[in-house]
Amino acid sequence: MAAGKKHKTTFGTIALSLFCLVLFSGVLLAIPFDADSPYLSISSIMVTNPWASLIRNLHYWSSQFFLVFSLIHLYDHFHHKERIGLKASMALRLSLGVLIIFLAMLTGFLLKGDADSLQARQILETLTQRIPLIGSSLAYSLLGNADSFQLIYVHHIATFTVFITIVMVEHSRRFWPSAFEFLLTTVGTLLVSYLFSAPLHDNQNPTVKGPWYFVGFQEILHWFSHPEWTLLILVLMLALVYIVNTDKGKLVFISKRSLLIFTGLYLLLTIIGLFFRGEHWTWTYPGAANYNYNVLHNFKSPMVKFYPDFKPDEAVTAPIIIGRKESCLICHNQTHGFVDAHKPEAIGCFSCHGGDPFATDKNQSHRNIILIPGNLINASQSCGTMQCHPNIVERVPTGLMSTLSGMISVDRFVFNEQDNPDQLTDVHQLRNSPADEHLKNLCVRCHLGNLKTEIGPVTEMSRGGGCLACHLNYCSEAEKELTENTNETREFHPSVSLKITNNHCFGCHSRSGRISTNYEGWHETTLDASEMPNDYNYRLVEGSRVFIKEPEDVHHKAGMECIDCHHSYELMGDGKHYAHQEDQQDVQCSDCHFSGNGNTIAASDLDNESALIAALRFGNINNRTLLKTQKHEHALINTSIENDSVFLYSKNSGKKRQMKAPTTICARNNAHQNMACSSCHSAWAPSCIGCHNSYDPNEPGYDMIRNGEKRGSWVEYIGTYAAKEPALGIRVSEEKTEVIPVTPGMVLTIDKKSYPQSKGDSVIFHRLFAPTAPHTTSAKVRDCKSCHNNPVALGFGEGELTYKVADGKGRWSFNATYEDDPNDGLPADAWTGFLENREGTVSTRTNVKPFTLAQQQEILTVGTCLNCHDENSGVMMQSLNNYQELLKKTSNHCILPDWNQH
Amino acid sequence: MTVTIGLFVAIWNKISLTQMNQSKKRKRTLPFDKSKQIAFIDEFIIINQAGETMVFLSHCTHLGCKINQTNNSKLVCPCHGSEYDLDGQVIKGPAYKNLRAVNFEISENSSQIEIEN
Repeated sequence: MAAGKKHKTTFGTIALSLFCLVLFSGVLLAIPFDADSPYLSISSIMVTNPWASLIRNLHYWSSQFFLVFSLIHLYDHFHHKERIGLKASMALRLSLGVLIIFLAMLTGFLLKGDADSLQARQILETLTQRIPLIGSSLAYSLLGNADSFQLIYVHHIATFTVFITIVMVEHSRRFWPSAFEFLLTTVGTLLVSYLFSAPLHDNQNPTVKGPWYFVGFQEILHWFSHPEWTLLILVLMLALVYIVNTDKGKLVFISKRSLLIFTGLYLLLTIIGLFFRGEHWTWTYPGAANYNYNVLHNFKSPMVKFYPDFKPDEAVTAPIIIGRKESCLICHNQTHGFVDAHKPEAIGCFSCHGGDPFATDKNQSHRNIILIPGNLINASQSCGTMQCHPNIVERVPTGLMSTLSGMISVDRFVFNEQDNPDQLTDVHQLRNSPADEHLKNLCVRCHLGNLKTEIGPVTEMSRGGGCLACHLNYCSEAEKELTENTNETREFHPSVSLKITNNHCFGCHSRSGRISTNYEGWHETTLDASEMPNDYNYRLVEGSRVFIKEPEDVHHKAGMECIDCHHSYELMGDGKHYAHQEDQQDVQCSDCHFSGNGNTIAASDLDNESALIAALRFGNINNRTLLKTQKHEHALINTSIENDSVFLYSKNSGKKRQMKAPTTICARNNAHQNMACSSCHSAWAPSCIGCHNSYDPNEPGYDMIRNGEKRGSWVEYIGTYAAKEPALGIRVSEEKTEVIPVTPGMVLTIDKKSYPQSKGDSVIFHRLFAPTAPHTTSAKVRDCKSCHNNPVALGFGEGELTYKVADGKGRWSFNATYEDDPNDGLPADAWTGFLENREGTVSTRTNVKPFTLAQQQEILTVGTCLNCHDENSGVMMQSLNNYQELLKKTSNHCILPDWNQH
Repeated sequence: MTVTIGLFVAIWNKISLTQMNQSKKRKRTLPFDKSKQIAFIDEFIIINQAGETMVFLSHCTHLGCKINQTNNSKLVCPCHGSEYDLDGQVIKGPAYKNLRAVNFEISENSSQIEIEN
């Protein structure tokens, strides 16, 4: 400072104070900082060394303020002085100084070594490389080898710092700031540094951005396919600064105005870049889905805690997780119960639970924590992050267990709100129509997107929960700890594993089609819990539903679990949208039970997901030949072909079983070739008729989407439940026409009279049967008469089906057990009229129909023979080979039906 | 002064170019897993589809950002959202050039891949 000259505080002098603060804090920061592993060293500073953390913050904030005050100082000069009139050489150095300040700041940003920094480094390198002639040399000289930060560090602490120092001293003619200003800026910056940490990306959030002063430029870069042209903007800006510093007259005025306009626009772009750009630089805004995670998350900035919630030694010995020090594991250091892949030593706590991995007290660490990760609403931030299972989490929402497409579509069709029951729908698109309200009141709790809101194991009452619905398991210690519910840090953590048991499926699949209960051999009754006999043949589910014992599925009897048949692409979706479960369902009986050669795949050709799951379950399977499904060509990882025999391994227990080939009857092609295996091998299926639904505006109800109580609800009045051999119907698809089991899916009346603002018919009646997969497989098949002489199988409903011969002519007649329904004149449990065609959409699928008149006649013709001939007789055996030929050879005793008499 | 600057630039250019050439890694040997459809390893993206393997440099052709994620079977640049299909073809800008394919060789036992950089 010139002697005798009175000191005047300006933005420039404050900038000088701040620069001194940058230098001092930088020197101190160099002690704990390690340029060989910058990300680890900075996370270690934050977690283990609060004083170093404060100094890092001081270095960061003083440099940010230095930049801001330097720019304001520049503006101040330009604003108040009409003509600055610097010498050309000095103006050049000052103009370059602006660029160098930005470079010093940018190299500081790069030295964090986090996800933001690594991408910023790539951008800087690419842009520099594209400068003609010297680009490559310049980029290499600036950044050095890709895997080293040495040169960046040198430039940051030496090259740029020295240049700035020289220019500042030359410009201000001062070495030192005034003591008062220095004290003031130090105190102010220290306070900010104490309250707000310098940023460090957690390397998990997919949103990456440059430093705040760069995001405006990042926005500009995003507009250009040839971003190297944007360098001209920088050159132009520096030229304008140079002109203002040296020139005079109108050119200075134009330059000043241009700089001002650019600065205003750049501020706007900076705000856009900071607050309106999310993952992949896509447009977003406050209130948009995941806005907090995609945008605000990266502003988290824990306060320095000089007395953290742990001892310094504990922090130092805590493990390094994915290249960083994570504070969570310092307190949660004795937690057990994880599978190897999810052990905290491998993935930490932050990978699943979020929070702040660099904060050092409980409250800050737990801010924005995900208490129950795995819910679909947060799965992309936990299970689905890039290092974990992104591909699976991406496709789960497309699967039927997430969309409930079939359930919704059928319900809307039944309420006459859709033309057909096969439209693609999604549970997230429900509105307020009578059908949608019906679904919300009674049906749609069972979707994977339904939130799990309380910690605890999966039970028969559980619904939804995303990934946890299937993968959550509590060991007994974890359950005990949960029950005791002390405030101490828990030692046992539930595992998230591949151990998916039948119990995981039970909650949702014991309803509607009830395949879980069917599979275990339980049939629901209409008894109240109070009426349940004290008998091992009865079982109480969910505290109120009474089930009675029926034959269990042969696979269940053999100890097989649901996942032994169903694979990951069926259960978690394969990325495609399906209208109905039979479309998404992949595995078929014939994939495992076949004669001749199966559809095989070598273990070495497995897709990554199947290979990974197989390796986790069974270890090395490299030499195995496996089966794959015929429908969607997915590998069945728990199968093996060994010496022409097919084996199946239980996925949970590893137990090995040999699989049986179908019997010769099943493999015969002359008759019954179009029968689905389940049409003969299903021992029974639950059947429900006489259901009535009405809306009661005063009924206390529940909204299963909102998960809240409400006034006014649809009420369902059930008719009768029965366990009996299913009826049969025809499914016509592009690939094949087959006979399948069906049950009365929607034989019901709907009373909409009381529904607010209801449109259309006030009372609706439907008689729709539904294709079913009963999961009551029996090795012993139903006999011939159970189809050919059975009115239930034929779709007529229960009753007396008799064949009489009079006057030498045969005639079938049917006397229904149930009375005719006044809505359509058919018995209550019928699907089609006796010896009648039924047209239109008469099932919950457009491609499933009852037998036509001609088909009924064919079936009953065989039934006529069975009235006299035993099904194992030679005649009936011959009929299986060529029935039409056999009919030509009938004796005089055989009187076949005369269909003209009917 | 001009001579000094010229001399400095010449020496700088010589040093940096020599160092750059020396530090270039001609070939990289990396673990290979043909069951993995998309693998982001080191500076490369290894794609296995329809029985064929392709290797691309993982740097976005727009500004060099490292592509390390997929979205609906598309390779997505985290910096500015450029998208490429699994053949490395640009399907959404701001990038306009396809990803750069690199030569490679898979070991006999298919456990390693040697990639030319």
